[in-house]
Amino acid sequence: MGAALSPEKVLRDLAALWTSMAKQQSRDREAAGEPSAADGVLRACTMTLVVLAEESEDPTALGETIAALMPEHPARAILLRLHPDGPRALSERVYAQCWMPFGQRRQVCCEQVEITASDAALGDLPPLVLPLTVSDLPVILWCRAPRLTGMLEFGAMAGIATRVVVDSSAMPDAARALRLLQDLARNTPVGDLAWTGLTRWRAMLSQVFENRERLARIAGVARLRVAFSGTYETAARYLAAWISDGLRAAGAKPQVTVEPDAQVSTVRVELEGRGLRLALWRDGQRLMAQVDDSSQCTHLPPPGDYILMREELGIDGRDPVFEAALAEAAGLG
Amino acid sequence: MPTENPFQDPLRFERRVPECAVVIFGATGDLTRRKLMPALYRLAYDRRLSAGFAIVGISRRPLSDDAFRDQMREAVQQFSEDTPFDEGVWRAFAAGLFYMSGDIGDGGMFERLARKLAEVEAARHTGGNALFYLAIQPSQYAPAALGLGAAGLAKGNGWRRLVVEKPFGHDLASSRQLSDELHRVFPESEVYRIDHYLGKETVQNILAFRFGNGIFEPLWNRRYIDHVQITAAESIGVEGRGSYYQEAGALADMIQNHLLQVMATMAMEPSAGFTADAVRDERAKLLRSIKPMTPDEIRCNTVPGQYGPARIGGEDVPGFRQEPGVDAQSQTDTYAAVTFFVENWRWAGVPFYVRTGKRLPKRVTEIAIQFRRAPLAIFGKENTGLPPDLLIVRIQPEEGISLKFLAKRPGAGMHLRPVSMDFNYGTSFGERSPSAYETLLLDAIIGDATLYTRQDMVEASWAAVEPIQDVWRNTAWNFPNYAAGTWGPPEADAMLARNGHVWRKP
Repeated sequence: MGAALSPEKVLRDLAALWTSMAKQQSRDREAAGEPSAADGVLRACTMTLVVLAEESEDPTALGETIAALMPEHPARAILLRLHPDGPRALSERVYAQCWMPFGQRRQVCCEQVEITASDAALGDLPPLVLPLTVSDLPVILWCRAPRLTGMLEFGAMAGIATRVVVDSSAMPDAARALRLLQDLARNTPVGDLAWTGLTRWRAMLSQVFENRERLARIAGVARLRVAFSGTYETAARYLAAWISDGLRAAGAKPQVTVEPDAQVSTVRVELEGRGLRLALWRDGQRLMAQVDDSSQCTHLPPPGDYILMREELGIDGRDPVFEAALAEAAGLG
Repeated sequence: MPTENPFQDPLRFERRVPECAVVIFGATGDLTRRKLMPALYRLAYDRRLSAGFAIVGISRRPLSDDAFRDQMREAVQQFSEDTPFDEGVWRAFAAGLFYMSGDIGDGGMFERLARKLAEVEAARHTGGNALFYLAIQPSQYAPAALGLGAAGLAKGNGWRRLVVEKPFGHDLASSRQLSDELHRVFPESEVYRIDHYLGKETVQNILAFRFGNGIFEPLWNRRYIDHVQITAAESIGVEGRGSYYQEAGALADMIQNHLLQVMATMAMEPSAGFTADAVRDERAKLLRSIKPMTPDEIRCNTVPGQYGPARIGGEDVPGFRQEPGVDAQSQTDTYAAVTFFVENWRWAGVPFYVRTGKRLPKRVTEIAIQFRRAPLAIFGKENTGLPPDLLIVRIQPEEGISLKFLAKRPGAGMHLRPVSMDFNYGTSFGERSPSAYETLLLDAIIGDATLYTRQDMVEASWAAVEPIQDVWRNTAWNFPNYAAGTWGPPEADAMLARNGHVWRKP
């Protein structure tokens, strides 16, 4: 372990890893009496995924999340594990995540680099990470450590990414978090897992207005109330922003309220107006919608990091609907 | 009043699926049980269906709604290959399943269907939209469509669409007659002729590969491509469908529809946009450009085959003529190989070898595009005779694309060897690929006909295939001419050898 860590060495280690895996595969095939020439280890890569996490985070759980993402979003994963104390120090190791797709003979592998650094060495990370990113493919920075987003060095890391993903619900002050994200989004496309977690909610609400009769009544909506509890303020602001934007586009002029409510377990949305009454809320593992006299229910367990990141990694570049909601939510009083 | 839902997010939401009732004629049949119901259940499982969704099954057998639900539950459990059975999802899905018995020849049945649909619409809020799916004998297509028309069901307060399965006629005249009869009730834009090959992920990927990338299209012509081989091989026999297959044969069952559609997708010109009509116009144009063959050309450029008995894997396998329901002197082709030529500037002179057969060594469907060799062999005698560059588009199994090219073997000297660069759909996008029926059913509900065949495409295919059929019917073949478990008759090898080519063994 030391302050100096060479990207060339990491890349050499990665190349050696692939060579050894190919040799091993070849030996295994020969041992099984199968020809080895045509088949080998398949390397799959569609992006570089840089994960910024606290060293104190459970490495097994995080490793499992990254491994689960790989089959759908094969990537060179660079896991940066940070500890706040200690001298300016960096260390690394390389390894591969492999899987055998169902019904197929070839093993597919993605490479992973893990770098441990102290906060004092944070400034050393961007010049180390930049040469490790895979050329010509997107670089996604997933910041799991909220405290880092406020640090100066975070801007340099974000600068090498084509997209930055954070989770604003883990940040203590919702209004400040949204403003910070808005600033970040000026330079780099941004994703927020607090918003990602609302996709099913939004889809369910959108589905209500696929019905022509209900769509015809949308302009009559006079009141929008989004109530929240605990850490769901950001989610509530996002929903209020997105819904009020949609209502205004349809000609409604709703009065918008976003407020804490001890009776609500996460978030509750209520729309009221001429000929239309809608409520949307979570009930345990289910998402419920009540529209006038009819109700709908869909199975929706609270999404984990894997589900949320899976969706985020499917988006290249900017997300205009999110950015509009972010701008609106940051401006909500 | 707004006409567009303002709460759309196309980047994150799945495609909008309108409310509708799917009416399945032939609801207790094999197609419904094996393909349609598992596909619809999977769509429900993935939350792809609208809340206002219902299925009305129609068949001759009297059944209650509940008995029908039980049968469909069994079918979904038995035939959903990669979808977990979720009791909660099933309960919600089954609440939208309804059944009525009736005969297509009985006009009263359609009147009852109209009443049933009105009830279902009120109970399930299906918005007046209806998709009529004919999973029945082809001879019943026209009577079913005419019955729907007579009962006023082809029009309503929502959209009305008709889905028909192949075969679309048994020759050019009968396909025209069928279209004419369907058009008496449904306009062509509302007729969805399903060809499940076009719903396969890799077939759609051909379009992405060709027209989403700039690097392949410049090579996609007679100057760089030597020839194309399209193979659809099945390792199984007729599996109890002997009497049906005896009437159809490999040429009509596979080449006229599936494989010519695949060939058209592979060889068509770029469309102006990715709209249903723009893509289908180009496919149709390509099919119309297939050179019609004279009887002499047919004898030279086509090979029919029929499998004989063999012993495979220690088991005796019957020949086609020994299969139940098959005439002991049957002249039906269980194998067909055809060399097509496309008469346009891009493809003039490039042979498209298309083959299909039953009881071949393995189940595989692929397109192999063989490129011309480098114009000059500069690496010495030891490097001559190496395989040419090949682009393989695998449609099933293991959907994907491979590029085989030559590279220097590591070490001293300049020795070349073929290497393979692979894109595998399953491994590059670990997500499960939807089945062809899921894709196509959803497309029909949404109203996207891009992957459906149009009347002019069907007619152009028949125009290419019918002359071959005529010559084959008027020839007494010395069948069987290939043993089960082999790659077809030797005459098919000879057909390629005449052009200096050999069939790939996929």
